[in-house]
Amino acid sequence: MKCTVVGKRVERKDARAKVTGETIYPSDRSREGMLWVVAVRAAHPHARILSIDTERAAAAAGVVRVLTARDVPGENAFGIQFHDMPVLCSDRVRYLGDVVALVGAESRRAARQAAALVAVDYQPLALLTDPEQALDPATPALHPGGNILHEVHFHKGNISVGFQKSAVIVERSYQLPMMDHAFLETEAGLSYFDENDVLCVESCGQYIYRDRKQIASVLGLAEEKIRVSAEMVGGAFGGKDDITVQIQLALMTYVTGRPAKMVASREESIVAHSKRHPASMWFKTGASKSGKLMAVEARFLSDTGAYASLGGPVLNLMAEHAAGPYLVPHVKVDGHVVYTNNGFSGAFRGFGCTQACVGIESQMDLMARALRRDPLAFRQANVLHQGDAAGLGYEMKTAVGAEPTIRAARAGKLYRQRRRIKKDRTHVSPSLAPFIRRGVGVASQMQGLGLGVGIEDQAEVEVVLGPGGAVRVKVGTTEIGQGAYTAYAQMTAERLGVPLEQVEIVGADTGTCPDSGATTASRTTYAVGNAILLAIAKLEQRRSAWAAQGTGRENLSARANFTVPTQDRQLGDGLPHLLYSYGTHVVLVEVNTLTGEISVEAVEAYLDGGRVVSPLGFEGQSEGGIAQGIGYTLFEEVLLDRGRFLNTNFDTYILPSSKDVPTAIHTVPIEVMEKSGPLGAKGISETCTVGVAPAILNALEDAIGIRFVRLPVRAEDVILAREESPHES
Amino acid sequence: MKIDLSFTLNGSPINTSVAVDRRLVDLLRDELDLTGTKIGCEEGECGACTVLVDGQAVNSCLFPAPEVDGKHVITIEGLGESDNRLSELQQAFVDQGGIQCGFCSPGMILSARALLNENPNPSQDEIREALGGNLCRCTGYVQIVDSIQTAAARENSDD
Repeated sequence: MKCTVVGKRVERKDARAKVTGETIYPSDRSREGMLWVVAVRAAHPHARILSIDTERAAAAAGVVRVLTARDVPGENAFGIQFHDMPVLCSDRVRYLGDVVALVGAESRRAARQAAALVAVDYQPLALLTDPEQALDPATPALHPGGNILHEVHFHKGNISVGFQKSAVIVERSYQLPMMDHAFLETEAGLSYFDENDVLCVESCGQYIYRDRKQIASVLGLAEEKIRVSAEMVGGAFGGKDDITVQIQLALMTYVTGRPAKMVASREESIVAHSKRHPASMWFKTGASKSGKLMAVEARFLSDTGAYASLGGPVLNLMAEHAAGPYLVPHVKVDGHVVYTNNGFSGAFRGFGCTQACVGIESQMDLMARALRRDPLAFRQANVLHQGDAAGLGYEMKTAVGAEPTIRAARAGKLYRQRRRIKKDRTHVSPSLAPFIRRGVGVASQMQGLGLGVGIEDQAEVEVVLGPGGAVRVKVGTTEIGQGAYTAYAQMTAERLGVPLEQVEIVGADTGTCPDSGATTASRTTYAVGNAILLAIAKLEQRRSAWAAQGTGRENLSARANFTVPTQDRQLGDGLPHLLYSYGTHVVLVEVNTLTGEISVEAVEAYLDGGRVVSPLGFEGQSEGGIAQGIGYTLFEEVLLDRGRFLNTNFDTYILPSSKDVPTAIHTVPIEVMEKSGPLGAKGISETCTVGVAPAILNALEDAIGIRFVRLPVRAEDVILAREESPHES
Repeated sequence: MKIDLSFTLNGSPINTSVAVDRRLVDLLRDELDLTGTKIGCEEGECGACTVLVDGQAVNSCLFPAPEVDGKHVITIEGLGESDNRLSELQQAFVDQGGIQCGFCSPGMILSARALLNENPNPSQDEIREALGGNLCRCTGYVQIVDSIQTAAARENSDD
């Protein structure tokens, strides 16, 4: 199908307002008479609360109200999967982000000063910070069900037969860090009662309808009495999937009747919100002499911290993606995710695939090396095709683009010319040249799209045709920067045959928009896009019916609901998926062996998310995903010491800057059309970052002969590893 | 304690009084209602609050408001053309995809403005050096650098 708007390098719908400063973000909102709300968070990572004295804080200048658990009218708990996080803790705190009181004051300064006056008497409890210790049934439990949140045990074939048939067996353990989303806008929002006595919360969440439901249950209010919006948000990456400030704001307004505003400081943000799950992984993999993958065995221990969040589903996706995009006859995966007092972890771009991919793609390289095979040829020879059985045994029923991404990567410049590029020292001074090593590494990945079996995954939208050809599309998903609103508008313009400028996206407000589901899981282009096309089909039917009657009508609207299809058989919560996006990354790294400094010099990304709707956004997401992958591999780790956070701002939690991400990023769309997708599209917002870390690790081994198994890899790690390495060169 | 303050903001004179410990970012956002200037870290690491003071890019979260007395301040709201058109620099960010969530964009664009004022034809490396204090979590910087190079080329051809 030939498209005229879809696939064109169009301007983002929201770009103009963003370059002039007109866009209003949650932290920009304010209202006459509003209170500033500050959360009083736990002083200990694990303690019993003996008493909370708010008297001095309440009497402080400018303070209007101090709320504690007693002020929660409904259920004092919330959470995406289980309601296990207290809104306001009354008897126990389990991490430093737990909230014991909320101060509402006339100014932010007054609220902050009063927060320090809330006197909480704590009895510290034994800390649980070692995930291994959490597995021991003798360890005191952080939650009534024990310290194991969830476990998985899967097998396909017979793993010992698989290893018997293997000529090469590789076994390694991997350690992955806790990572912060570091969205540039911290958690923020505004709440107030409107003229109809509806409690409005204008905030930053990734799923407004789920936020509304949770606020309603905490306040004991009907959902219709609450309105939640989150149109433009300054980044999220999964970190705003869990409720952050929404309930706190709503509660303050509910109790005081006053508008209320919250903006987290960066320090508070890093302590309080979810993280990428830190994990230890063990992999044992085998391949035959002829280079056929025979066996993948993996064990995972993931640390979800103090609360469940999405720790279970993240572990499930680690298991689902443990064997990578490969055909493997014998697979065994076992995993646990446990509670500790180490902050808490949840959704983060990649959602378990990121972690699993570090393991399997490191193993693939090690096996290729042992077999003396070309790393991409080895992957290509074992890659999954449509109709094959995936790692956990179910059939790959939809379009599988893994092989075309590998083929394209093999033909790409960086890979083809890697021997020459590795030797190139023309860019460094002659005195430095002897200390420079270069290496090229690859990784391939797949990433489940949508929420998977057993989790409701629908998108409803409304398309309104107005006077003069204007089209409004009402969607419930949030524009968190990914550019989805532009993609929605392009698909709408394409299907209706109207200019893109005539399409307006009205976003993310439960007062005006239908429930389009969560802004997560690489799902929105696919799910919302399909719903838009269904709504347009309805409109066109009606339009032709009226035309047949000889009557015309403007102001026509239609709603449609699309359900993301799933596999038939459920293997776990959200497990498995029917649809995946794919990718292969090729990375050039350079190591200065004198200083240990690592730089990523070039990246080629071959990505299959079906048809590319918005090339500018596609490339931008890929580049941003690569930058996050570089951060995960070389810089970023939230450090905790006995449950206390050590690096809570950007002076110590180091993000990649413009000097750390290469100019030479080449993103190539591999458009394997997905029949069930809107105009053949799926999505790439996660697959574009998943393979970056192992590709860098593989490039490092190619450069200096050292296999790193712990992230992040820093200059000092290079120096230490080279000192210990018997092959030091 | 409050002190009187007179300065030029986006070309217009401002006469106000501020507390001596007020930060420039709070004066702009809370008192003058210019919310285009963002807050990301409040310690001068992320650059989201970058504004121009006498043509120099500064972190307004670290800049005492009283120190703008007698100076010229430019924020993102003051960067467009008089007839509501975008400046070349803003237009280049729109055209080249230098915008995703947009929260770093005002600061990023003002840092770029300061660079182009000093160096109308910067190299890739010079651009990346100049943006070293402006963090972006969405774009990976490539399209931002493209945007600035495009703006430089357009501005130079206009001369």
